[in-house]
Amino acid sequence: MIEKKQNNIVIETKGLVKKYEGKVLAVDGIDLSIQANTIYALLGPNGAGKTTTVSMLTTLIEPTSGTAKVMGFDVVRQANEVRHRIGVTFQEMVIDDDLTGCQVLDYHGRLYGLGTHEREKVIKELLVLAELEEAADRRVKTYSGGMKRRLELIRGLMTQPKILFLDEPTSGLDPQNRTTIWRYIRNLKENNQLTLLLTTHYMDEAEALADIVGIIDHGRIVVEGTPRELVSGMGADTIQITGSGDVDSFINKLKSLSFVQGVTNTDGLIKIGIDAGNKRLAEVVSLADRSDFPIEEISVTKPSLGDVFLKYTGRQLRDK
Amino acid sequence: MSAALILWHKHMTKLIAHKEEGFGVLFQPILWVVLFGTGMKSVMGTAMPGAGDLYITFMVPGIIALTAMTGAIQGGLTLLEERIRGIMKEYLVAPISRVSILMGNAMSTVTKSLLQSAIILVVGVLMGAQTVGLDPVGWLGGLLLIILYGLGFAGIGLAVASRTSSTGGYHMLIFMLTLPLLFLSNALYPLKSLPTWMQIGSRINPVSYVVDGLRQTIFDTGSKLAGGELLPLWLCFLVVSVFAVLGIMLAYGSFRKSVK
Repeated sequence: MIEKKQNNIVIETKGLVKKYEGKVLAVDGIDLSIQANTIYALLGPNGAGKTTTVSMLTTLIEPTSGTAKVMGFDVVRQANEVRHRIGVTFQEMVIDDDLTGCQVLDYHGRLYGLGTHEREKVIKELLVLAELEEAADRRVKTYSGGMKRRLELIRGLMTQPKILFLDEPTSGLDPQNRTTIWRYIRNLKENNQLTLLLTTHYMDEAEALADIVGIIDHGRIVVEGTPRELVSGMGADTIQITGSGDVDSFINKLKSLSFVQGVTNTDGLIKIGIDAGNKRLAEVVSLADRSDFPIEEISVTKPSLGDVFLKYTGRQLRDK
Repeated sequence: MSAALILWHKHMTKLIAHKEEGFGVLFQPILWVVLFGTGMKSVMGTAMPGAGDLYITFMVPGIIALTAMTGAIQGGLTLLEERIRGIMKEYLVAPISRVSILMGNAMSTVTKSLLQSAIILVVGVLMGAQTVGLDPVGWLGGLLLIILYGLGFAGIGLAVASRTSSTGGYHMLIFMLTLPLLFLSNALYPLKSLPTWMQIGSRINPVSYVVDGLRQTIFDTGSKLAGGELLPLWLCFLVVSVFAVLGIMLAYGSFRKSVK
């Protein structure tokens, strides 16, 4: 059983480190072990080391130390084997504007050594998948941001990769386009036996897509698990309070309550992880009363990955 | 099809699709020959009857050299643009050799140079320049010279494009290189008419060797105006070949460092 599980691991890194010349550590010892047919999301703020990690896994840059294997091939020593088996979309849009959508796909296929007939067949299928048939012979210049993103996505699929790397797939897109891209990504995994590694700084994206989320901060994975595991570790509900008075003593009293599963304080916004928000609201309010902590605002919410991020890093993951 | 050829094909498709660039590639050399050529032709013709046509024949190889040089150095801009816009990353994650990326760029650059040279040749002939006529060896020799020379300057352009990060600096480089290389050569006036320091400068300038090489392979009568004192043809080939090798080595070294 364990043996079989080992075989299913398609991305594996051990103590992966990248230090740029004269700069701080961008990636500071990352251990990943990603199973086939999963969507793994690296969630973290800008500058956390997501893109650097992906760049090493996709053979763009070499690690300073540590090892990384993709489909069992070492990303440094067997880079070409890795390149044959992966598809990549980059954080920024990387398409030649002067080519038509069809040409973009065609040249990409050629670079990977696909034959003429195979290219024609795959291009036709993929254009349907991305709903770009009508725009196929127009120059990419005339495409909207969402269309370009979709074109990039199917370009990554041209060569039928086993693993698709998506670096910030919906960054800079409007909400409607984001939902469309999410739908494509989910379909891709279901229909193509694909493993996807995506990076994002949107927690809703990680929640919507990922089977496994790795929260990354300062070049390290601080916690990893399914979104449900991570969020349920925060308590079933969160009570958010702002108020005036002695915050620290109030928090200490909160922590001593048996049903409280965790308390964080960011700039006066207290978040209390709790088993059942509506039931405990009254008790929290009366505790605040007894502690001379006048409440200004109070609300009950479901915890999110953002709260998980806050708990493990002590900072807010801000959507920008 | 090898990756270098695919990239070359792609650059050619883009050249056709991108009308402004295509137009510039074709139009700029025509302007040179027509404006500069006509002016000089009448100046020379006034000074000495019959010298006008001779001068056109003398000058056209020079203009070919200038255009091929500018075009080749500008070829680096394609690479630079692909680097800046990140398109290079698409190549770098593809299972192709790093060298083929560089070679694809060098090939498309030299192709553009050859196109421009051909146009100048046609316009030059229309304006009275005299070629060797039906002499396949001469034409092949001339073609080889332009290719080698184009590779050398493409190498310089690609080397800079591999390391710099702005197009502004790159244009400055083109400007700084092309003017002195043009005027400190035998492209527009015979070597022996120059002051000594300019003669020395001209002799260490690869432009002089391709120009005199072309005068002896493709063009015939240009040597009359030069007083028969052209650089020996074997030396022209040798210098231009060494120049091509050096240029490509420079580009290769610089490119290797940039993709590490």
